[in-house]
Amino acid sequence: MPEAAIRRSAEPFLFRTLAIAFTVFIVGYILVPILVTLVMSFNDAAMIRFPITVWSLRWYADFFGSAQWTDALRNSIVIAAGTAVISTSAGILCAWAFQRFPIPGRDALYVLIMLPLFMPGVVLGLGVAIAFGGLSIGGYSFYGSRAMVMLAHSLWAMPLVFMLMEATFRTVDNRIVEASYDLGGGPVRTFFEIVLPMVSTGIVSSLLFAFVISLNEFVMALFLTDRDTQTLPVLMWLSLRSAGTPRLAVASVILALTVFACLSLIMLWYIRQLRKVSQ
Amino acid sequence: MTAVASESEATFAAQRQAELRRRALAPWILMLPALLIVVIFFGLPMLLMARMSFNLHIDQRLYVPGFTFEHYVNLFSNPLFTNAIWTTVQLSVLASLATVFIGYVFAMLVWLKPPRWRLLMIGLALCPLLISEIAIIFGWWMFFPKNGLLSFALLSSGLISDKISLMYTEFAAFIGLIYVTLPFCFFILLSIFDGLDKRLLEASADLGASPVTTFREVLLPLTWTGILVAFSQSFIWTIGTYATPSALGPDTLWTMGFLIQEQMLGKHNWPMASAFAAVLVIGVACVMAITRSMQSKRTAFHA
Repeated sequence: MPEAAIRRSAEPFLFRTLAIAFTVFIVGYILVPILVTLVMSFNDAAMIRFPITVWSLRWYADFFGSAQWTDALRNSIVIAAGTAVISTSAGILCAWAFQRFPIPGRDALYVLIMLPLFMPGVVLGLGVAIAFGGLSIGGYSFYGSRAMVMLAHSLWAMPLVFMLMEATFRTVDNRIVEASYDLGGGPVRTFFEIVLPMVSTGIVSSLLFAFVISLNEFVMALFLTDRDTQTLPVLMWLSLRSAGTPRLAVASVILALTVFACLSLIMLWYIRQLRKVSQ
Repeated sequence: MTAVASESEATFAAQRQAELRRRALAPWILMLPALLIVVIFFGLPMLLMARMSFNLHIDQRLYVPGFTFEHYVNLFSNPLFTNAIWTTVQLSVLASLATVFIGYVFAMLVWLKPPRWRLLMIGLALCPLLISEIAIIFGWWMFFPKNGLLSFALLSSGLISDKISLMYTEFAAFIGLIYVTLPFCFFILLSIFDGLDKRLLEASADLGASPVTTFREVLLPLTWTGILVAFSQSFIWTIGTYATPSALGPDTLWTMGFLIQEQMLGKHNWPMASAFAAVLVIGVACVMAITRSMQSKRTAFHA
């Protein structure tokens, strides 16, 4: 019996130690690549090498002084904005249809819309490149254009928006929609003036999530862009293959900052909405 | 009088008809943009890709229309390709197992810990999800090599006497893969844990079960479905990815994703790349179907 008693008292201690050790491990694991990148971006030397002796903003100046890199950043932002608009509008309309109307073959359609989300980017990129590789409409080459990449990125962003908005629309009180119909609001007017303002937080979240997905994606973009339209992650990937310099760390930091700016926007919007409700 | 009544009745019926037709048509108009995107940019490319995989590949041209099983035969007989398939499956299974294990412990701790830590931990778990895969690769790319942070930290703490490099090893590829898939597993498992009643643990302890027994007999069976879903999610993710293993792993680590990219952009062999992609898609679909059937069997059993 005493042996069992000792085990009993030792056990909580053992589990607590294990839990702390695991927490330290996971925090370290997740933060290491982020912190390494952040620190390296302020390095002055041209080589990736630890320890860092001289600190400067040299590589930030280099990044913003290089037309190739700023063009890539601009391409990324334009493509991400386009993806956000395309996938959010398509996803919202589709989710509203699922919410309001009885649809024949509902489950099959649901699977069809969600399916691209589970496909590897390399497969989607290859497929789109094969299907539209030589296509040009009226002298405008579709392949390699930004529009092409936006639509390809929408294959991942749109199902996510659809999923998010479907859940959001479920919180909409149907009686308010019916009341709007009874007061003479047509379906279109009701949708734009009653329903959309009620789900504005969902819309803002959808827009920004789609933006972030497109901003970070680079496998499809690698298959579908050319020199003039390549995005920042594609350029980073190509230069990592040749040689890594602190410029890449700067690019990583800028990408991450853009993403966190988007997140802050979501938070601010959310807080604003909460304030409105409480007033 | 009756004529007028029947006339207005007729217009009413016509209006009703139009209304019904409009109601039947409306959802399709609303779904049109989404369906167009999915059908034109996903369905059509997949069909064309399947067709492409049977085309011929003659003297360095992208493809020559034709019909041959050559690429599929090649895929399953050429040791270069069979090895790639085998390596990819092995790597994905191992990485997914490790991810599920780490994600499970992480989610369990967040579930058990007091709520004030919760938001912080969830924010932490979101980081890998929000950072571009390329930035993550580059982060590890600076951590593992000879002049990287790991070597420097170990050297200055006196644990080793000579610089070491873990770059371009399977271990590095592994660490990178787990990092990218961890958040998916974590959030799937956390949502499962959140659905459980913590008093179950107390009840089990009151009945005299040790923590290990409680885990094995209570927690594990209740979270089994979540483990399955998390595993298949991360398997699907790792089997399709190529950037992380090819950038961090050894040059000999040829995954299917890498070979697709290589055949497409390097060798300009579109039919071969398509055959590879088709096999990959079938593999992903099989894993999804198996997971679904196991899931529904379990729910049917519990019901």
